Amino acid sequence: MYSSEESLNNDYPKFAVVGHPNKGKSSIVSSLALDDSVQIGDTPGTTQVKRGFPLKVDGKVIYELFDTPGFQRARRVLSWLNDQEPVSADKKGDVVRAFIAVHRDDERFIDEIELLEPIMNGAGIIYVVDASKPYGSEYETEMEILRWCGQPSMAILNLIGEENYTEQWKSALGHYFRMVRTFNPIKATFIEHIELLDSMSQLKEEWTKPIKVAIKVLEDLQDQKIEQTVDSIVSNMVKTLSYVHRQKIVGESATTDEEEKLKLSYREKIIKFEKEQEQNIESIWNHRSIEKVENMLVLDNVGLFSKESASIFGLSQQQLIITGASAGAMGGLGIDLLLGGGSLFLGSFIGGAVGGVGAMMGFDNLYEVKVLGQSIGKRELSVGPMKNLNFPYILLGRSLYHASVIAKRSHAMRGDIDLEQEEFLTEQIIDSEMRKTLEKVHVSLRKGDEPKEEELKAYKKVLKESFLGLL
Amino acid sequence: MYKKNSKISIKSYINFSELLKEYRGTHEENRLFALKHEALLPNPKQILLAWMEKNSFRKSKKSETQTLIQKFSTLSNFIGLFSLIFGFLAGLGLLSYSGHAPVNVIYYLLFAMFIPLLSMIISMVSLLSSGTVFNAFSLFFPLHWIETVLNFFSFRDKIDVFNTLFSDELKKWMFMNRLQLFSLLFSIGLLFALLVIVVSKDVAFSWSTTLNVSNIDFFKLLACIGFPWGHTLPSAIPSVELIEMSHYYRLGENLNTQMIQNADKLGAWWKYLAMVTLFYAIFLRFLLWLATRYGFQKQLKKDFLELDGVEKLLREFNTPFVSTESPKEEKHLEIVKESDEQVAYAVAKVYETIIGWNFSKDEILLLNDAKGISSSKISTVGGNNSFSEDQKIAKEARAEVILYVKSWEPPTMDFVDFLEELLANDNVEEIQVYPLGTVGRNYESDEREVAIWKRKIQGLKSKKVWVIDV
Repeated sequence: MYSSEESLNNDYPKFAVVGHPNKGKSSIVSSLALDDSVQIGDTPGTTQVKRGFPLKVDGKVIYELFDTPGFQRARRVLSWLNDQEPVSADKKGDVVRAFIAVHRDDERFIDEIELLEPIMNGAGIIYVVDASKPYGSEYETEMEILRWCGQPSMAILNLIGEENYTEQWKSALGHYFRMVRTFNPIKATFIEHIELLDSMSQLKEEWTKPIKVAIKVLEDLQDQKIEQTVDSIVSNMVKTLSYVHRQKIVGESATTDEEEKLKLSYREKIIKFEKEQEQNIESIWNHRSIEKVENMLVLDNVGLFSKESASIFGLSQQQLIITGASAGAMGGLGIDLLLGGGSLFLGSFIGGAVGGVGAMMGFDNLYEVKVLGQSIGKRELSVGPMKNLNFPYILLGRSLYHASVIAKRSHAMRGDIDLEQEEFLTEQIIDSEMRKTLEKVHVSLRKGDEPKEEELKAYKKVLKESFLGLL
Repeated sequence: MYKKNSKISIKSYINFSELLKEYRGTHEENRLFALKHEALLPNPKQILLAWMEKNSFRKSKKSETQTLIQKFSTLSNFIGLFSLIFGFLAGLGLLSYSGHAPVNVIYYLLFAMFIPLLSMIISMVSLLSSGTVFNAFSLFFPLHWIETVLNFFSFRDKIDVFNTLFSDELKKWMFMNRLQLFSLLFSIGLLFALLVIVVSKDVAFSWSTTLNVSNIDFFKLLACIGFPWGHTLPSAIPSVELIEMSHYYRLGENLNTQMIQNADKLGAWWKYLAMVTLFYAIFLRFLLWLATRYGFQKQLKKDFLELDGVEKLLREFNTPFVSTESPKEEKHLEIVKESDEQVAYAVAKVYETIIGWNFSKDEILLLNDAKGISSSKISTVGGNNSFSEDQKIAKEARAEVILYVKSWEPPTMDFVDFLEELLANDNVEEIQVYPLGTVGRNYESDEREVAIWKRKIQGLKSKKVWVIDV
């Protein structure tokens, strides 16, 4: 779509990620390119041809990363280069170009040509090694070839396994590369990602500016993703907590079967809302192919709603009573303020007591089932909104946990996500002050009222704080 | 056709809502659109309308809702016309004068001022209220009952579209706006009837009430009602004399003498009645109609901007599109299935030849010691060796050869080249490739790493080469 602009600007920084087979080159590219579609495998030769991953902003390429196949016949390449007429350092690149030209159709050097070509077209070299395995002199052949290319270069120490040979590698790589950085694409945080980009910007003076632009773009993108995630959670909370499922009934009152069917539909709908929200968050963070292992949101009187355990994501009964009491007291305080304190702050006291008792009573309540009379004589059965006081915290806890796992997940990671982490507790990330703000909105939604705009803003702020705390 | 500063109408609202259900575009497409319409970016409404205009062709079919709305609009126009005619007829009825009993101005005032004022107050309370209060007030309006009656008909479901398409607030404003228009038309009809009657008939006006109201009090009341135009149009305020001479008593079977004597003056009431109608029933109603129209437009705009999908569109318009994907399709590697073929599960203690791929001689000695393997001939290949050195070692190898490899370094083609040279040596009876782990792991190799070696060796399809997996 933006091809015309792209062709006009072709002098952006390029980086070729090269190295021995199976040292995590594709993982690094996948992580830096925020793309989980890159094929990553433990079989050497997973990457068979080079692939460019341009970072484009509105069609304009800011920089481009190349994922390349690993060296396969490095000794033969170096031997060919050494066999040529000796040349001065400034002409060594021409010898490499000559190698590419001569062997372009030679099947033996497909991998080497694929990896050397972007470098000889001006790409900076990012040489990747696995620092969890010992250094070997065979790597020197590859590093020697890269030195022949004469392009700005840096080495990345990728710790794939449990052992650590970082120091050994650093002292060896220091002879060939001006810059050596450690970067684990699987565990790398956003800050580490940015720091690596910053290092890459220092490889060549002309690249500093565009990479700084890219860093700014990625930081803005990260902020937008956080905002969108919080918006998505808030919107799902409002939708779910205020949801009322209705169905027409034939008789004067609903039969047990009608009631059960409606309750089931209501539960299915709530679960569907949660799934949609999760998919939305996964798409915000560009994780398209994730398989999850998670506990199902159980909507019955046991399990997540049991008095004893409430839920790992919910609040304890004691906390609910405190939350209810403080929310009630806030309402009472409003009356006191209206009366200029003339009520001797009885409003706060009564409000607090009523809120607390309400919370205690509401612990067992799930959702209200009503038969509504219609003006034209027909009758309707309705389920909802959710009355259980703990439910919002369970839903919130699950959403925040899921979102934080997705947001932190590296694009280099493959395989299932485990969302059954029991140590995650809502109460640890949402303190009592935050709960007061949240409860105001929950109360409105339970009543079937639309929450006030400023209350929703405060709600969003609290969720954002909690979410950032998890990142 | 989209024009700059065009307003949102019910039609565009429905079109947009339907389009959003079918198509929302990608971030890339939407951002590109926004960049092409950069001047409209500060105005969400305008850029959304332009986007709708550009993508309207994507709507798959002619909207049934649109047709239904058109029908309702026609129906509404008919009701408007009916209100006008009804107002006119009501006016004729109110002002009917047979020559026996004069027209009671109080009765007219009730229709031209008190009822409109009351309905306007109800409308305003209804507009400013919500929930139960609004529902209670809506019972006062005939349209509520029309809607209730419509529920009985078979096309009820079609009408239901209003509930799904429009928010309660929007329906309220829509309803109120229409109601003000109908009332306004009714009042215009009433005023028109008054003027027609005044011109075409000689009407005698009087005033009469069961209550004990003195002429002076009645004058004060009328002056108070006529305050808005009293200063600019004093002739449209009845004088005390006129009030006195037109005071009518219900027990007088015929008009009293005073009234008959002043018959020419009794008609002077019309100016006052016309001004009452003009000000209270028409002008104030017109203001309320304008207010509800403004409220309706405001709510329509609000709902338009809150339609499902709008938030996403606006965000995408304003957010630079960042892409990091590769335009090149990935060539997927076909992975050879692992099997037990050419796998040895034991290591011999003595070999004719020991070769270490990318190992130093010292490392091989250490390794032999750790594994209890011995040989009279130990060689190193790969690493910094030259090809001729490797070729020589491959040629000199005899009988059973064990080839140490670093399990964590996957087999490269360089290794395969050497292995093929070794296989080409007829003196070599068997080659056992032994993937070994790091010293830190006591040479224990990882299962996954060995699997890679197995697959590579099995891929060679040679019965002479084995992988040791112990």
